[in-house]
Amino acid sequence: MAYISDGSFRRLLDILQDGYEVYLPVKKGEQRFYRRYDGSFDDVVIGEVRAFEPLKAFFTRAREVVAQDFKPGVPHAQDRPLAIIGVKACDLKGFKVQDHVFADPDLQDPLYIKNRKENLIISADCTCAIDTCFCLALGITPFPAQDYDINLSTVRGGFLVEAASEKGRALLAKHKTLFEEAKREQEGDRDRLRAKVKARVEENIKREKVPSQDLFEGIIERSFESPMWDQEAKACVECGACTLICPTCHCFLLYDQKDEARMARLRAWDSCMFKDYARVAGGANPRPKLWMRLRNRFDKKFNFFPQVAGVYACTGCGRCISACPAKIDIRKVLKRLVENA
Amino acid sequence: MPDTNPYRPVKTEVLDVITETPTIKTLRLKPEEAISFRTGQFIELTVPGAGEAPFTPSSRPSQKEVLEVTVMRVGKVTEKIHQLKKGDTVGLRGPFGNGYPLDDFKGKEILVVGGGCGFAPLRSLMYSLFEIRSEFKNLLFRGGCKNPQEFLYRDEIFDWTKKKDLDIELTVDKGDPTWKGKVGLVTVIIEGADMDYKKGIAIVCGPPIMMKFATKKLLEMGFLDANLYLSMEKNMSCGIGKCGHCRIGTHYACKDGPVFRYDQIKDCHEIWD
Repeated sequence: MAYISDGSFRRLLDILQDGYEVYLPVKKGEQRFYRRYDGSFDDVVIGEVRAFEPLKAFFTRAREVVAQDFKPGVPHAQDRPLAIIGVKACDLKGFKVQDHVFADPDLQDPLYIKNRKENLIISADCTCAIDTCFCLALGITPFPAQDYDINLSTVRGGFLVEAASEKGRALLAKHKTLFEEAKREQEGDRDRLRAKVKARVEENIKREKVPSQDLFEGIIERSFESPMWDQEAKACVECGACTLICPTCHCFLLYDQKDEARMARLRAWDSCMFKDYARVAGGANPRPKLWMRLRNRFDKKFNFFPQVAGVYACTGCGRCISACPAKIDIRKVLKRLVENA
Repeated sequence: MPDTNPYRPVKTEVLDVITETPTIKTLRLKPEEAISFRTGQFIELTVPGAGEAPFTPSSRPSQKEVLEVTVMRVGKVTEKIHQLKKGDTVGLRGPFGNGYPLDDFKGKEILVVGGGCGFAPLRSLMYSLFEIRSEFKNLLFRGGCKNPQEFLYRDEIFDWTKKKDLDIELTVDKGDPTWKGKVGLVTVIIEGADMDYKKGIAIVCGPPIMMKFATKKLLEMGFLDANLYLSMEKNMSCGIGKCGHCRIGTHYACKDGPVFRYDQIKDCHEIWD
């Protein structure tokens, strides 16, 4: 296993800037956000926990042009690929869902495919947990196991480094002078920190009584007619934050803009919580009530995706819990669903 | 050249606009790049700047250069479509979805049931069925509309009544002095159709409420779930199963439909709404 010192890591970031636009997590107050790397390092937090924004934001933009006039070809917002640093394990699981949707071999989305192919993912172990973290309930550990190019584990003075893709291995080989052989005690330090963070997430799960995904089979169908949906949706203000901030949610709205000179087709993230989401022009709406749309959100995550993609579309990142102004808590809903069994 | 961008519309000329009824128009469209579709597949029609909406072409698929869509004025985009004139430029994407599996119908008795605006996709289907009529044992058509004013393709469909190899009955919910045919719901004229219900195919297309009651009636008559083909009207947008809006259970109407066998969707929630 390789080790990179903090100093060499900064050199690596500078080198990466030649081929990539580099984004890395920084801390502002109690939150972490991605910022474009400009050489300064004061507010950077590679470890800690997931950023405020979901990783999907680098692969399907919150709003982007998908076609212009009647011109063939694919418009792209970015000239250079992105290197995204400090991605956490929960966000990486989002790829299981996003890839299923946008990289379906029969019906590919060219914008997503390009980003997925060209962007570089340098993930990192979580070095702490916050109260809303519950990744373990979804079968994810707070340190990446797959779907990264390179992973960083914070140790004293630098990081342990592992590659999990051709792209990652090539990068390590190309810049091998920046890396050293890791020492056995560094690996021990890494394992102890991993165990500590894992224990912290376990505490969360115990405190909130979050059920494990092993108990999720059939929970939606069994509670489809339950009065719980109406109760859970009582305080919902239909803001859509839970879906927009979710690393697995993928729905978008296509719309057109036109001025004198040109026409552009855009797509913007959309939310199944919005009233008109499934409404047709004729007026029919399969889900006119807010509670039906809340139920549909869970149906999509815990019934649709396991059937079509073999994965629950939740990563335990807890973003929807923090984002909800009505305090709708996905952990409590899951607990009720499992208890209704 | 195959286009790699599924979101890009093909520049298309409006050749003609035909007023069908007070609320329905048919557009004859000539895309710059030919769009070849199977009957029952749909396209997305763009009015530049206003957006796009899904329609199943009402023309014959074998007519490759020009396709026709029949549009009821109900929403924002269809309002703009109704303002289009000959020579205007629009966009087309597609075709999307599965269309009708004509090969599966061969050798069988086929009952086509249409309501209102559902005549649009069904006209395309009927053209296709007429072309290979000898391959079916029997062909029946049952069509209903709210009133004679809104009877789509009225002259053309009345011409079908002269066909010897088509068993056809038409009705309106509410008649007027110009109407010489039957009065009553379409579910009433389905009853008694002269065919073997257990083995026959039924194809239904119309407004959700009509679809619901026609399906109920056909099941009562003895049609099998797997022999009932329904055109599901959902909010299809991207056409390629990405944007999420048209989900029915584990399917997307845009890529797995819009034509579904009843057995594929009968256990899904919210199908008639």
